[in-house]
Amino acid sequence: MTDRRRINGPSGGTSTPIYSSYLAKDPKDLPERPTRTRPPNVLRKMFLKTGVTPSASGSAYLELEASKIPTSNAPGLSSLSTSGLKLTCTVHGPRPLPKSAPFSPHIILTTHVKYAPFATRKRRGYLRDASERDLGVHLETALRGVIIGDRWPKSGVEVIITILEGEEDQWWGDDIGRGATSAAEWGMMSVLSGCITVASAAIADAGIDCVDVVAGGVAAVVRSGNGGKAPSPTLVLDPVPSEHKDIIAACIVGYLPARDEITDLWVKGEIGHDSQSGNSIQSSSYEELADNAVQAALGSHRVLVAALRETADVKIGRL
Amino acid sequence: MSRHKLVKNLDLDDEFDTFNGGNDYDYDGEETSEAKKIKVLPLYLSSPPIQKLIVAEHMRQGTIKVREILPPTVANITDKQIQDSLWHYYYDVEKTVNYLLTTYSATDKKTSKKAVGKKAQGGLVFFGQCSDDGRRACDENFNSAGDLYSSGRTSTYCSNSSQFAPFFNDCPWFNIPADRKTVFVPPLRPRGGLLGGSSGGPPKMSKLQALAAARKKKAQEQRSSGNTGVEKPLSDLKVKDDADDDVPMAGASAEKSELPPKASSRGFPLRKRKDSNEHQKAPRAAPVPKDQPIKPPLPEDTPTVDQAQPSAFASTMFSSTSTPRQPTDNLFTLPYVANFTSTTTNPFAGPSPDDIVIAAQSKAAGKGGKGPPKTNGEKRADQIAGGVEAMKLDDTPRAKRHVDAGKSTLMGRLLYDLKVVDQRTIDRYRKEAEKMGKSSFALAWVLDQGSEERARGVTIDIATNKFETEKTSFTILDAPGHRDFIPNMIAGASQADFAVLVIDASTGSFESGLKGQTKEHALLVRSMGVQRLIIVVNKLDTVDWSEERFTEISTQVSAFLTAAGFLSKNITFIPCSGLHGDNIVRRSTEAAASWYTGPILVEELDNSQPASRALSKPFRLTIGDIFRGGVQNPLSVSGRIESGSIQMGDALLAQPSTEKCFIKAVEVDQEPVDWAVAGQNVTIHLSGIEEQYLKIGDVLCSPSNPIQNIKQFTAKVLAFEFLTPMQIDVHRGRLHTPGRIKEIVAVLDKHSGAVVGKKKPRVVKPGLVARVVVELEMAVPLEAPARVVLRSNGETVAAGLLE
Repeated sequence: MTDRRRINGPSGGTSTPIYSSYLAKDPKDLPERPTRTRPPNVLRKMFLKTGVTPSASGSAYLELEASKIPTSNAPGLSSLSTSGLKLTCTVHGPRPLPKSAPFSPHIILTTHVKYAPFATRKRRGYLRDASERDLGVHLETALRGVIIGDRWPKSGVEVIITILEGEEDQWWGDDIGRGATSAAEWGMMSVLSGCITVASAAIADAGIDCVDVVAGGVAAVVRSGNGGKAPSPTLVLDPVPSEHKDIIAACIVGYLPARDEITDLWVKGEIGHDSQSGNSIQSSSYEELADNAVQAALGSHRVLVAALRETADVKIGRL
Repeated sequence: MSRHKLVKNLDLDDEFDTFNGGNDYDYDGEETSEAKKIKVLPLYLSSPPIQKLIVAEHMRQGTIKVREILPPTVANITDKQIQDSLWHYYYDVEKTVNYLLTTYSATDKKTSKKAVGKKAQGGLVFFGQCSDDGRRACDENFNSAGDLYSSGRTSTYCSNSSQFAPFFNDCPWFNIPADRKTVFVPPLRPRGGLLGGSSGGPPKMSKLQALAAARKKKAQEQRSSGNTGVEKPLSDLKVKDDADDDVPMAGASAEKSELPPKASSRGFPLRKRKDSNEHQKAPRAAPVPKDQPIKPPLPEDTPTVDQAQPSAFASTMFSSTSTPRQPTDNLFTLPYVANFTSTTTNPFAGPSPDDIVIAAQSKAAGKGGKGPPKTNGEKRADQIAGGVEAMKLDDTPRAKRHVDAGKSTLMGRLLYDLKVVDQRTIDRYRKEAEKMGKSSFALAWVLDQGSEERARGVTIDIATNKFETEKTSFTILDAPGHRDFIPNMIAGASQADFAVLVIDASTGSFESGLKGQTKEHALLVRSMGVQRLIIVVNKLDTVDWSEERFTEISTQVSAFLTAAGFLSKNITFIPCSGLHGDNIVRRSTEAAASWYTGPILVEELDNSQPASRALSKPFRLTIGDIFRGGVQNPLSVSGRIESGSIQMGDALLAQPSTEKCFIKAVEVDQEPVDWAVAGQNVTIHLSGIEEQYLKIGDVLCSPSNPIQNIKQFTAKVLAFEFLTPMQIDVHRGRLHTPGRIKEIVAVLDKHSGAVVGKKKPRVVKPGLVARVVVELEMAVPLEAPARVVLRSNGETVAAGLLE
């Protein structure tokens, strides 16, 4: 189905042309893949703020800092810069269901995740595509276990997330044919983790009863060796797909720290197939991957709680 | 005469006279007597002193009431002030209290600095004490957007006053108290500065702007030194607010000092902006020690998360310092001030009309009591909860010999006597049947629902219904007996656990039937894998319950069935009458039938053992029907699970189209369930597949163990007719597809299965077992050990087992 109400750009989208003069022959001048400067167990810094949309019942904004470009001799094209993650979430409700809706003894949760058309290097359409709907379903799963739905019969709440700047699925250098192209949608994992955290903040901001605030966390097994020796897979928290040449598997959880429960778990990728190559890979089982994702979720939970506390302070201070 | 003239001629004086005069008279009704008139007069005369007394009394009581309501913080209000305001408000205590509180608590704040520190508490006290009306007004005020800011009052005052309408309620037309007058604030201007220049740091001011700012500041200082009584408390408040701010707000005070001085004249404290610094200042939780040791690549301690500075984008969007963000926080409903949210502004407060109706209905239903169906439901639930192994779900198809043997009537009688069908329905059917001149068909219509079935008086398609006895629940598959509808019968028999064969006992019918469909049905049922058979000798009432007739039929039929491969212990004969209901649910009361002492039909059904199910095999289901299961479920299929199990959310593969789909919901007997296992007749609501990929007879299977589409198979078949390499129809349940016998591999021994005679015979005689290779026109999902029936030209020629 096409969207007839807008004048759309080309559906596939175009990217800025890169001229061959930019692609220097000298390997030293080649743009370098950004490298992870954090230790493997440190998350990116997160900025979270609630109450950003006045017209919504609750809202929140989350951003993760962009990773630094290691060398400055990269072409000065803005399209080649690395990007972080920027999400904004609004919560509308609880509000009565329309009359046409059937009776529901608990709250009806609707989630809607949409990339802004300019959010990723590849332009997104105005209508939600499969991956966005997928994110929405995962988000709904993560939130459904948190909201105490029975307190709001016959009502609905809508959680709407707009991704202003999405995580990249791979380094742009891979896009233009440098390095291996093994692009699965790894960026989605970080995006979903952010979605869960920001939606949780917005729901708390809207004053909807929850059993706990749910926080998202990502962990991944990456193979990031450089050059000669066989790269050994390592476990990292909060992976940035553009920083790693090869992501073997990634796991995202929605975690409730107070109850020690997981509301959503999503693992992508395969580990354990080349178990004969060494015991290091064998050691990183799916369980450990999930455990580390929980650790990452604990980290973002801390930011979440701090942001909510700050909002509460402001509100009580005013009352 | 027109109305105009009437009005013209109207003598106004006259009219008013009568009106005034009438007033007194009408006052006392019709019997206006002189005496009453006189009584009235003294009252008039004495009224001034009395009124004064009343006023004094009102005033005294009102003062006491107001004193009671007023909080102790405003105890310094004099009686005079109270009485004045009471007079003003016509002794309305509530309004008076409101007015006094607003007026004098504000004055109070001015003098006592302590009160300012406690302002939040003061507000709460007020809410606790004012009446419901007042509280609602206050709450509205809290929940509404910040229109109060525009009135330029202190935040304390705002919280105590009300919205527009109530706000002006107690306001006199003239002599408005000074503190209620608004202070107009000049509109906010965009922050000044020169365009362009460096991006960092505050914008540079032009010289002219700097000069203007300096002048303004000076003027402001002058004015604030000669402050009016109204503005002074406000500035006090503001200072106090700053002083009250504790550590997290430390950043705000610095910011405040940078504000242009005109901000302080706005008459309300600025809402403090959360700025990015607060993130840095917020206490960081101590790292939680990790409980699990991590392998070398990961260091031992937990990840620490830093709150980041907002990016340039975020700081642009969210930290504009000059505009207060008023409305947002009033819209929030905080969980810990539940009182505020639960008042009239809350759309969910109180039971909704729906709730009331539902509650009333449930109460009424409880009184009415629908006992039997409920207990049935419970029993059913227990059975299912008993586990997969203990599941007792038996399906009875009734394969009957001859048209009009009375299958449908018998089943209708069964359902009616077991109270599955109520009397009213039966009466209705009876009336309709009489209209059509077929009054004896009324019971059959319980299962024969189609208009064509009713008109012709025969069952055409499989009808399902379910009933429960004390021990077990059954699903009936009423299969057609007519030879034209044998494919439907095959479909029914393929879903059955055991069969009830109905034989017409009336003279002549049995004999013709045994030659006709009875034989074919019995063979088909046997070749479909049904082991157990209950033979109901029906219509015995037409032969006066003759025992000889029953014995004769039993002997002939059992001889035939044993030959067809049934074990004699699996065959039971029951004499009964479907039309009258003898020996079905109740034992026959006919004296002539007293010779029969064996089990009646229901007892015999109860005695049947549930067949073992292929629960652990991969999932297989042959689609029996495809329909639209409602608005929510655009595509639903029904059928019997042949093996395996499913649950909600499972992925399925539809063969032969090889389309993947998902289970949206599962229903068993119109009840939504989470899972279903082999042997159950289920309705599955599918998602992720279009209707064009499914057709009746297709197989749904598990994608991990899909059933293969094959174009050729070898089968061991029992020939009913002469078999040669010929065109045939292959039936398996609902699935049927054209094909041909490609090759007859060998004729086999009936019991040992060994090859008999020469290889590759050209023809197989009826009654022999042969191994044949069948080639199909198109690939269909079939796998061993499926039972297939081969038909040709509307006749069943063979039935057998896939190899």
